Amino acid sequence: MHTQHGKKRQADFQVIAQWVAEGERVLDLGCGRGVLLQYLKQTKGVYGVGVDIDFDKILSCVKRNVPAYQGDVNEILACFQDNAFDRVIFSRTVEQFDDPDATLQEGLRVGKKVTVGFVNHGYWKNRINSALHGSRTINEVYPDPWYASIPANPFSVAEFEDYCMAKNIRITQKAYLAGDWKSERALLPNLLAGYAIYDLAAS
Amino acid sequence: MNDSEQTAVISDEGEVGIVEYQDFVSSERFSFESGGSIPELRLRYETYGHLNEAKDNAILICHALTGDHHCAGVYSMDERKPGWWNFMIGPGKPINTSEYFVICSNALGGCMGSSGPGTISPETGQPYNLDFPKLTVRDMVRAQSMLIDSLGVDRLHAVVGGSMGGMQTMQWVIDYPERVGRYISLASCVRHNAQTIAFNDTGRQAIITDPAWQNGSYTAEKGPDKGLAVARMMAHITYLSDVGMENKFGRRRRASADEHFDVEFEVESYLRYQGRQFVTRFDANSYLYLTKALDRFDLHGPNSLEETLSAVSAPGLVVGFTSDWLYPPQGNRELVEALLRLGKDASYAELAMDYGHDSFLVRTPKLYDLIRTFLKR
Repeated sequence: MHTQHGKKRQADFQVIAQWVAEGERVLDLGCGRGVLLQYLKQTKGVYGVGVDIDFDKILSCVKRNVPAYQGDVNEILACFQDNAFDRVIFSRTVEQFDDPDATLQEGLRVGKKVTVGFVNHGYWKNRINSALHGSRTINEVYPDPWYASIPANPFSVAEFEDYCMAKNIRITQKAYLAGDWKSERALLPNLLAGYAIYDLAAS
Repeated sequence: MNDSEQTAVISDEGEVGIVEYQDFVSSERFSFESGGSIPELRLRYETYGHLNEAKDNAILICHALTGDHHCAGVYSMDERKPGWWNFMIGPGKPINTSEYFVICSNALGGCMGSSGPGTISPETGQPYNLDFPKLTVRDMVRAQSMLIDSLGVDRLHAVVGGSMGGMQTMQWVIDYPERVGRYISLASCVRHNAQTIAFNDTGRQAIITDPAWQNGSYTAEKGPDKGLAVARMMAHITYLSDVGMENKFGRRRRASADEHFDVEFEVESYLRYQGRQFVTRFDANSYLYLTKALDRFDLHGPNSLEETLSAVSAPGLVVGFTSDWLYPPQGNRELVEALLRLGKDASYAELAMDYGHDSFLVRTPKLYDLIRTFLKR
């Protein structure tokens, strides 16, 4: 289970790495232990900065030689000038923001591009949990029952694309991963994609 | 499915043991940023560990306002208290003396053996007192760089400092970027805010208005002890935190207080003791000079924080402490945010501790891991 989760946790790495250009300046918001940035540093020679609220995560970043800032995502975004980074990454963090729209818009101000990766809650298995069992999804990625979980605001591929359209945010690239979060799957993404990754730009 | 990455904390820790200080003396005239000069420069310092053949394993430790060069070990087996950062420095400790050559000098302007207002001027045979030139953090760092030269060290593996030591650390990477491999600044700031200047001046006024101060020309036997003690008592409060003091003292009382204004509460007893102790080891004029140097320190100047920091090339780690209200987390973050705006390799970590500004002097596994890890990077 450990390795399975480890792989899942890094599901969007390969896709993001494909999209990142050589030597980009990258800001990873909710960077965790800095694994993605370390990977991008090694494979793409990026200048990357991670942001996380948790001390132990920052310590792990220091261990990985990844510059990291312990603090609030909105506060750090506010301190940067427009287009300070080539890319701002939100990998599985958007669902935890108090005001997702405001934070994403700030990301689009600070980054020339914004990369968002998230678990698609429109995925059919997630629907079955809800429809058949009347319960939230519990799996290796979300192992904890509701009473032991941090507040989260899950959304689906369709909801996210509706949001981008409503706010006039350009989707420049996208990738849908199947339920195993490995193979790419383009058909009926709102139903069949387990995970979705987007590259966004302000219009 | 454990998400944590534990650091192996098993280590054979030892002590640096008995240490002695040494004096670096330069007989060249030392000029200050303010334009003044002294005919001879003396810095008292200690070293632990060994300088390797490549001379690239030296770490410079910069002490806080009232700290000194004695940051590890003891002078004799009878000494009760080891150096001020003994838990951090030693064989197998985060600043590992089996690996690194550790240097710590008493700051210029201090009173523990380095040139300062209390030093006898070779020209007059009298203490400089207020004739000692106006002092800046840059002067302190330049003096240290001469010491480092004399030890044959071209490039330091790291510069590490807390509080005033953190300011010196930043001055190091600004003035000598090519001489520093990495740096750690703890519980520090890029400049004093109005509140900090206000506290410092209240302390200075306590000294200056003590009749024994004599415009700085007091004798060693009869100095402004009362003013200096009050300055220390007040400053000491700013080094602690509300919660920390509540936990340590609360409203606990002494057994008896005969007179109305005798010591009644434990916290009074503690602070008065701190004041009394301080005057036995610290010089009032040094206190005035050093606090003034810190009040004037301003990395926002002369043009902007970004411009000042643009020379920095070494990777840095800045550490703030949640309960520090003297140099609060915000000021530490400000530094890192500016470094990141410049595209520098800088990290910020924040520790939730109750010990106020002095948190960096308290041993905790997290700080231990952080410093050990960063120095190894």
